[in-house]
Amino acid sequence: MQTTTAEFKIQFHPDYASIQFSAMASPCDLLVDSQDPELIEKLALASVQETKRIENKFSRYLSNNLCHAINQSCGQPVEIDEECFRLLEFANTCFELSDGLFDLTSGVLRKIWRFDGSDNIATQAQVEQMLPFIGWQKIHYTENHICVPEHMELDFGGIGKEYAVSKVAELALKLAPSNSVLVNFGGDIQVSQAKAKGQPWQVGIENPDFDQQTTKLIAIRQGSLATSGDSRRYLLCDGIRYSHILNPKTGWPVQGAPRAVTVAANQCIQAGCLATLALLNGENAEAFLQAQNIQYWCLR
Amino acid sequence: MQLKQFKQINGALAAASCALVTGQVQAESSLLDDWQVDTAVMYYGETDRVKALEAVVNVNKDFGENHIFNGKLVYDALTGASANGAVAQPDAQTFTRPSGKAEYTIKGGDTPLDDTFRDTRVQINGQWTQPLGQNNTVTGGLHVSSEYDYLSMAINAGFARDFNKKNTNLALSLSYAFDSIEPEGGIPVAFSEMVYRSDYQSETDFWQSFNATRQSSGDDTKDTLDVIFGLTQIINRRWLVQLNLGMSQVEGYLTDPFKVVSVVDEQGYSVRQLYESRPDSRQKENLYIGSKYHFDHSILDLSYRFSSDDWGIDSHTLESRWRYNLSEFDYIAPHVRFYKQSSADFYRPFLNQQESVPMFASADYRIGQMSAYTVGLKYGRKLKNGHQASVRLEYYHQAPENSGYSAPGVLTELDLYPSLSAVILQFGYRF
Repeated sequence: MQTTTAEFKIQFHPDYASIQFSAMASPCDLLVDSQDPELIEKLALASVQETKRIENKFSRYLSNNLCHAINQSCGQPVEIDEECFRLLEFANTCFELSDGLFDLTSGVLRKIWRFDGSDNIATQAQVEQMLPFIGWQKIHYTENHICVPEHMELDFGGIGKEYAVSKVAELALKLAPSNSVLVNFGGDIQVSQAKAKGQPWQVGIENPDFDQQTTKLIAIRQGSLATSGDSRRYLLCDGIRYSHILNPKTGWPVQGAPRAVTVAANQCIQAGCLATLALLNGENAEAFLQAQNIQYWCLR
Repeated sequence: MQLKQFKQINGALAAASCALVTGQVQAESSLLDDWQVDTAVMYYGETDRVKALEAVVNVNKDFGENHIFNGKLVYDALTGASANGAVAQPDAQTFTRPSGKAEYTIKGGDTPLDDTFRDTRVQINGQWTQPLGQNNTVTGGLHVSSEYDYLSMAINAGFARDFNKKNTNLALSLSYAFDSIEPEGGIPVAFSEMVYRSDYQSETDFWQSFNATRQSSGDDTKDTLDVIFGLTQIINRRWLVQLNLGMSQVEGYLTDPFKVVSVVDEQGYSVRQLYESRPDSRQKENLYIGSKYHFDHSILDLSYRFSSDDWGIDSHTLESRWRYNLSEFDYIAPHVRFYKQSSADFYRPFLNQQESVPMFASADYRIGQMSAYTVGLKYGRKLKNGHQASVRLEYYHQAPENSGYSAPGVLTELDLYPSLSAVILQFGYRF
């Protein structure tokens, strides 16, 4: 059985149902251990709505949303809501915990770094021109307002998708309290709760190694997985591979980082942040992950 | 490769992630991730008798897939006076303290209370429970309780199995406890007579006689084995019933070293105090039937327990708790409990001078015929930070009864079975 609407596609399989839609420039999948068409449809509608809501609010590619208003404010205070405040608080915690490596303001560097697989690397002069516009400590915010200095920008891209995965998983737990729902947005995964009988979900994730366009089958019972890597976004110049992970302190791509890092944690947003921080630590990625006492996989 | 020392940030990140996604701040609890901690402070006060203050910390942690650790720490401080077993008299009475080092005097008409009652107790429990295969659960635990003159150590183990699509659960649990007692002043010789300093010319003579009332060894022990067989049955979505059968066997020193029995003459006057004597074994069987019913906004708990032992004490307990949810965030829970017991075969409020001393005798009102009730009310509230706070107030009344002993002479005028009331106030906090 299959239902397709403009927004999502539902398919019923022998022991689960799947919901598919597209958002945040990613394929978005939900797997549900239920055959109840009413429940599945309710989940599909709510998930699409929640995902699109987050995308529309925080995407930097739109020009009529909160993110745009913040980035075009030229130092004037912009009113924010509770959700935005919570995201800023989270970003602030990450900034502090990572000694400044995790920085929501580093997105302006994309003006000089375009990771299109070419050898088009930025010059030190260009980088130095951008550095004054980077630095989370220059952002001031309260529960109701945020002030972003002129030429500075916030980029929620680094946490937006993982945040959406966590929110949709939480929503799924509320709507289907006695089912297990696996939320998978392009390899960032969170399970709402373990299946009643404890068997794991089997899910294929894209192998981060860009040389082998294969899918890796993994088993997950509960919690979440997030992957950060440079499978497609990189620069290659004089035999040096520049990953798209930029160090906000130097303005240069991080060197010596693994190609991809996958981390398991309770919340997808937590896993995603750890994976990104691991890459930012470059050649020390494994040592960083080791100290976190978590399950992880590094591809070098 | 340069190796840096990295700090652990995952705990703080987990707390921040949770705050972000759920909007709930886990204040200070990032270290206590998925530890559930219950704390309580309780005051127990009997009118004119024992007062106790108790602090409890109970922690639960689920290590995943129902591997659960439970730990509990209890601290009690007790002060006050407790009945020493002697019968009340029209005139003042003097008693030698258990240590032999001092005396205390009780006014005429009053129930003799020994006011040296003062103790602190520390109790530690640890319990591990986990599934074994698909339908079985195993559990094991340790218990240590220590007081000034008392030490108790226990181990327990249990096995439970689910049947009938988890609607039926059968459980068997065993526990073995080893207790040792080393009372102040030593252990009295059964039925030896209390001696008084004023009856002796010299300190040496008194101590010689006092020591003759004491056993050569200053300590003793007892062993307790408990076996419980339990059946829990889910009747429907709302209703659950439970049935337990228990057997308990205790061997060893079961006498209370601080209690005496008065020997009275034909006019009811006390002529001497004998240190009590109880059998050195006790076997108890009990039956418990409980029911829990979920209404739309409340839960009703009803239970009945019958217990019978080879000392001749039969007891019945009827108890009910009704938890009513006032809103999504708070509830009240009224509680009532009725209790009734028959007296032990060797319970004697006093001994008559003309009769020969029986094999065992104790005047401890706690093994005499009595009835008691408790009424209480608890209020609990879920706080904005997700923690839970509760307050409980209870009133306990105990009425010892005469199980058919006729009081001679002056004793007819006295209250030989004084009742006792207590108030319990408890504050609880869960995070």
